[in-house]
Amino acid sequence: MVPTLSHTKIQSQNIILLGFGFVLGLVILASLSLGAFQIPFPQTLAILFDQIGISVGTFEVQQENVLIQIRVPRVLMAMLVGGGLGISGAALQGLFRNPLVEPGLIGVSSGAALFAVIFMVLVPAASALVWIKAVGLPLFAFVGGLIHVLAVYYLSKTQGKTDSATLILAGVAINALAASLIGLVLFFADDSALRSFTFWSLGDLGGATWSKIPVALTLIAAPTFLLLFNTKQLNALALGEQEAFHMGVNVQQVKLRLLICSALVVGVGVSMVGMIGFVGLVVPHLIRILFGADHRLVLPGSFLLGAILLNFADLIARLIVIPAEMPIGVITALVGAPFFIWLIFNLNKSRN
Amino acid sequence: MLKASKVHFCIRQRPIVAEVTLELHPGEIMAILGPNGAGKSTFFKLLSGEIKCKHGAVAYNGHDIQKLKSKELAEVRAVMPQHSQLNFPFTAQEVVELGLISCQSKHPSNLVKEVMEITNTTHLKDQLFNHLSGGEKQRVQLARVLVQIWEPKPFPRYLLLDEPTSSLDIAQQHGVLKVLQSLKARNIGVLVILHELNLAAQYADKIALLKNGVVAKIGKVSEVLEEEILAHVFDHPIQLIHNPVTGGVLIAAAAQVNQTIPTFKQA
Repeated sequence: MVPTLSHTKIQSQNIILLGFGFVLGLVILASLSLGAFQIPFPQTLAILFDQIGISVGTFEVQQENVLIQIRVPRVLMAMLVGGGLGISGAALQGLFRNPLVEPGLIGVSSGAALFAVIFMVLVPAASALVWIKAVGLPLFAFVGGLIHVLAVYYLSKTQGKTDSATLILAGVAINALAASLIGLVLFFADDSALRSFTFWSLGDLGGATWSKIPVALTLIAAPTFLLLFNTKQLNALALGEQEAFHMGVNVQQVKLRLLICSALVVGVGVSMVGMIGFVGLVVPHLIRILFGADHRLVLPGSFLLGAILLNFADLIARLIVIPAEMPIGVITALVGAPFFIWLIFNLNKSRN
Repeated sequence: MLKASKVHFCIRQRPIVAEVTLELHPGEIMAILGPNGAGKSTFFKLLSGEIKCKHGAVAYNGHDIQKLKSKELAEVRAVMPQHSQLNFPFTAQEVVELGLISCQSKHPSNLVKEVMEITNTTHLKDQLFNHLSGGEKQRVQLARVLVQIWEPKPFPRYLLLDEPTSSLDIAQQHGVLKVLQSLKARNIGVLVILHELNLAAQYADKIALLKNGVVAKIGKVSEVLEEEILAHVFDHPIQLIHNPVTGGVLIAAAAQVNQTIPTFKQA
């Protein structure tokens, strides 16, 4: 059979995704072996294979401990959070029909942060119920993120589409409000709550341990997976909400699903590693500029590229000031902010 | 059959569409004509299901529109709105393929290809939608809505279009209406809002004249196209001229009758 046009398109999209997967693998491997404590590549591979019972080389116990106890959960967390920020950025941009949308910019992150701080202050650090803290904090952060994204969505929507100026202003206002409320809550915090806030607000992956991975896996990976099933609906929404309805999309249901999933991914991510800006903005744009706007590619591509970028940023953060660590938010903002300025500049140019 | 019975819609007690009743049969082209602000677009949205009527009912093939899910509705009717804006770099072909979302076609790529040939958009397929001219965009949108209802189904389908020819030149206007005419054979009923009276006269089977939210006249083209009714609906004297070549009628704006000027002064 002669391959039809859409078949070749799907094939090339799959090849692109495979390419991203390959690059992600390389970055992860580099991230696992480089750092203050170097583990050569052969040993890294040997340790990994040893975990699944295949012996391919020798290594020291210390190397195994560093890799398995410190590096692997960290890389997993960077992958989940970075990928989650990327895909939820893509989904939110599609939902708002606005390329300037970013989880940090429109207040999802600050809402999550505010509620996370409230939780840290309300629930004493020495609480005996460890599992309440492990699950409660991410869920609380999710609620905060959801409230903020709903508020911004309804504030900035006029006649079925979001106006960029109102959107940014609503985001600024909501972010300012959240920042002041965080300050207010911290005013009442005790020493141990303050300390855990300081650690967390630095926005680095240093706190990623195996104990956090199960919650992160369920609360980030599951909604991410759900988002992947909305490619057709997001494509239809790009043309307009009414048009999507004409084409048979249950718009209200899809909107609700996208908002909840995105807020869950971002909120839980923020509660795990703090606020990491600009990944959700830059990643979907890069994919669209390079490979077009079809969400069948944009959604999974944003996850993979987000995971690549955050792992890469984490690697840099660990390498440039050895043996100390740079907060990862510094790196992403350093790259992301100029990109954002370039984006605004180009949007204005294309309009005139 | 697409049936609207006594549909009513008002904003702040003021009726925009008042008790409008009409029937659209498959294999029929009905043109909706009327001056600006007559309630055409609101009526159109009531029919497409975008807004709900205060009272009255809209039914597709005997099924009440309120009871149909958006997906079921999309299988029965396709809608082409006046303007659609895209903020992301989709190609023309990707826009056309959006029409496939709720049609379970076995040969989607053939379907898209066929429709793009008919709408004369094949050469645009790899271009970005936002880089197209206004007329090209409208043809791509037409292709998208055609894809949605193109394939034969055991039930009749309907196509609703809101001024599909507004940014097209004369050749393309006729091209589009000829495409609409060819849909008759596919068991599709077409309802189209037009501004150009002559296009309606030439291609429609039935015409509904709307004024102030009320149907001024509905019926076959020859029944509706009368100088007096048209002049009343559009508030402008209108002349029907016999076309010696086709045998049809040409609608032209007549010179303003002098009488109208004194009435202004009296008022």
